[in-house]
Amino acid sequence: MAPSQTSHVPTLDSLIKAFDSQSLEASVESLIFLLKRRQVKGDECAKATAHILCQVVTKSTWHDVDQLISRVQITGSRLARAAPMEPVIGNIVRRVLGLIRDEASEDRNADDGGSDAGSDIQALPASANLPQKPHPLPFRPPPSVAAAGLQVSKSMFNLLSVADTSDSLMTGASTPMSQAQPTSMHALRSEVKDGIDEILDEINQADDQIAGFAEIQIHPGDYVLAYQPTKTVERFLVKAASKRRFTVIFAGLDSPAPGSAEPPYAALRKRLNAAGVETINLASNGLMAYIPRVNKVIFGAKAVYQNGGLLVNSGCCIAALAAHEYLKPVIVLSPVYKFCPEDPSDEVLRGELGNPSSYVSYANGPAVEALDIESTITEYIPPELIDVYLTNLGPQTQHHLASILADHYKTEDINFAVHLAEP
Amino acid sequence: MAAETNGAATPGPAAQETAKPTGPTANPNPATAMGSAQTPASSEKLTPAQLKAKAKAEKAARRAQVKESRVSAPPPAQDKGATADGKGGKGKGKQDGQQAQTKGGQPQAHRPSVSGRRPEVPAPPSVVEKDVRSGIPACFSHVPMAKRIPMSQAHKDVHPVVLSVGQQMATFALNDSISRLKATFLAFRKVIESYETPKGNSLSRHFVPHVLNPQIEYLTECRPMCFAMGNAIRLLKGKVNKFDIDTAEDEAKEGLLEWIDLLITERITWSEYAIAKNAAQSMKDGDTILTYGRHRLVEETLLQANRNGKSFDVTIIDDPFTGGGKELAQTLRQVGIPVRYSPNLGGLRPKVAAVSNVFLGGEAIFANGSLHAPSGTADVAMAAMNAGVKVIVLCETINFDRDRVSVDSLTYNEIDPERNTADCFRLLYDNTHEKYITGVVTEFESGGGNSPAQAILALLRKQEDPLID
Repeated sequence: MAPSQTSHVPTLDSLIKAFDSQSLEASVESLIFLLKRRQVKGDECAKATAHILCQVVTKSTWHDVDQLISRVQITGSRLARAAPMEPVIGNIVRRVLGLIRDEASEDRNADDGGSDAGSDIQALPASANLPQKPHPLPFRPPPSVAAAGLQVSKSMFNLLSVADTSDSLMTGASTPMSQAQPTSMHALRSEVKDGIDEILDEINQADDQIAGFAEIQIHPGDYVLAYQPTKTVERFLVKAASKRRFTVIFAGLDSPAPGSAEPPYAALRKRLNAAGVETINLASNGLMAYIPRVNKVIFGAKAVYQNGGLLVNSGCCIAALAAHEYLKPVIVLSPVYKFCPEDPSDEVLRGELGNPSSYVSYANGPAVEALDIESTITEYIPPELIDVYLTNLGPQTQHHLASILADHYKTEDINFAVHLAEP
Repeated sequence: MAAETNGAATPGPAAQETAKPTGPTANPNPATAMGSAQTPASSEKLTPAQLKAKAKAEKAARRAQVKESRVSAPPPAQDKGATADGKGGKGKGKQDGQQAQTKGGQPQAHRPSVSGRRPEVPAPPSVVEKDVRSGIPACFSHVPMAKRIPMSQAHKDVHPVVLSVGQQMATFALNDSISRLKATFLAFRKVIESYETPKGNSLSRHFVPHVLNPQIEYLTECRPMCFAMGNAIRLLKGKVNKFDIDTAEDEAKEGLLEWIDLLITERITWSEYAIAKNAAQSMKDGDTILTYGRHRLVEETLLQANRNGKSFDVTIIDDPFTGGGKELAQTLRQVGIPVRYSPNLGGLRPKVAAVSNVFLGGEAIFANGSLHAPSGTADVAMAAMNAGVKVIVLCETINFDRDRVSVDSLTYNEIDPERNTADCFRLLYDNTHEKYITGVVTEFESGGGNSPAQAILALLRKQEDPLID
């Protein structure tokens, strides 16, 4: 899982181990440091975020739910800012925030005899992702004002309901939770910690769950084009190989040099070949030439936005475009924790530019002088190019993403970082 | 041996002669091979059978004489290549089958010796050699591939200049269709100059089957012929056949040399100028031009527009596996054109959407209007068309193939000889459907860029080619 790193850089595992022995602030700083240097990236971000938030819950000092929420928000937004192109971090933060709110409301409901706060968007129909338009500032309850007893409804369903101070716990206001007893706080701490462990389990199992759908999607004799296979895709293909005979075409090879020491994806190809699946490494820029031969295109996403658009590694879009032109299905493998309840930012739409030094050698002075190199490393794929979103919960289409988002995130957490933007 | 099985599979008179053993007895081989090669070359008028037989016999006799006088050079082990090539002198998309005789890793950079052959012990039979094609994944095994033929194995009738051109093609020193065409015809010029009609023959009957075809076969074996070469060779053969049987040899040779000069001037040199001028005219100040890789015509167009005083930006999308775009970027930078360079197709959608025109160079255009161009061109054209950007193809009319139709990239293509296994595989070309092309600029129309390929094909069909008079 760990990327190739030099020995003095901690791997994710050693980093997480170190969390226990370090002070919280040191852990957060070291993770931020690695995120900024992109030594923790991709799927690792999710795990690292969950671990660090677990540390926040267990180590930081807080006396009520609102303090806890704000601690998580602050740490979460620091992490998210450290790696703006890793939306997964934000997703995990939102999940943890939602978890805390759930646990808190359960606790309090137990105390209060079960009246419902009604702040979950789970209570809303699936399409209720953007129901708050008419409401002023739906996602950003300013904490300072809220303390003055200003009621902010979370959904239109209780717009008309009688305001009850003791019921509103979503504002970040201190009113309702401040009466909670320290014992319940202690219980909350362990419950939230368990919840985070569940999230971690989900992250760890997602790939296997997705792979479980492999034989439904891949048929005997298929030619499957896998663009820069991620771990998720690898597992998916290996699982499919145990049941089916097909051909995998790997596209998007990094190294343009022929005859380099080890052909790319050697380990994966060996496993697939052993299972009787043919593999071809395609060292080609364009893919239109091969798509007529291909039955389906598969790749992993870095993130899925609420419109169904994808953040992917550079080049995937070519595969998706070409497949779309030839009406070949494009299957995206994405665990649910990569689904972002946001729209893609402009940066995402433009694509991120990366290090150009692999394309022009510094030995070649005139070329370094002459070229403005735009080496894109991530890009955005619009939803219309995607046919199937294969999640750990099963295959989804673009139209049902909203219900998944509603199941996993709370509306008040969607813009968790906005009102904390200035540290 | 591979070549022999191959020869046997070949429908043609060559088959029975193939198995001749090494040594001076191999003499009749080449003549037979040439004779067989004539059969598929259907574009010329077929000589009556007896005349052919006679010519063959004479040729064989002559060969035998020449052989005897030449002591130092033992004949090559087999004339496998030439024999197997009896399949067809027609060349394009021609399948060279599995007869792989490249000696792996034996570079052939040196100039050919005068005899065209180096005395050399025949290499041990092709164990290594078979591997050249054996690594190709089954689903692409029908696609031909350039290969380096050791000069010792070349047909003995191949002219030394053609030998060197062949080697340069096989090594991709000559890569794009026009430079291959030009080199081929300059070499043919030499062939014609050194040609002497044997007694009792006339140039119009003898030259093509006995002299020209072996050259063509050899070139095709080095690398599948490009479409421009196919077109031009058809024209050349037509030209030779037009000569009256009584035409004096000098006159005919003079005529052919002039014709070749004319072909190169009109169809290559002036075409390039006209296309660059037309395409440059279609550009406006402030345009952003996107191009893919490096194509001679696109480069010339951009430089021409710059000379015309137009101010424009260029976005270059490169193919990391060829890297020509980088050179283009540097060339353009040197004359002061602002250039943005993308090393691969990543982020293509936003990049394409930001430009005003896409200029693409083509290797060939098929009868159905689809474009045969370096791999990746189709992706760029498709993305641009989807973004509503004009896609303009620059292509000489000599590259238009009026006989062949290609709807996908696996019909006519080539495998990259350096990346031909499942570990690393690449096709050199792809096929861009006509719907992704706004217009084609050729040397025919002026100020163009908006005529669809079909219009030009129709024009070409209607027009009696001026080169055949």
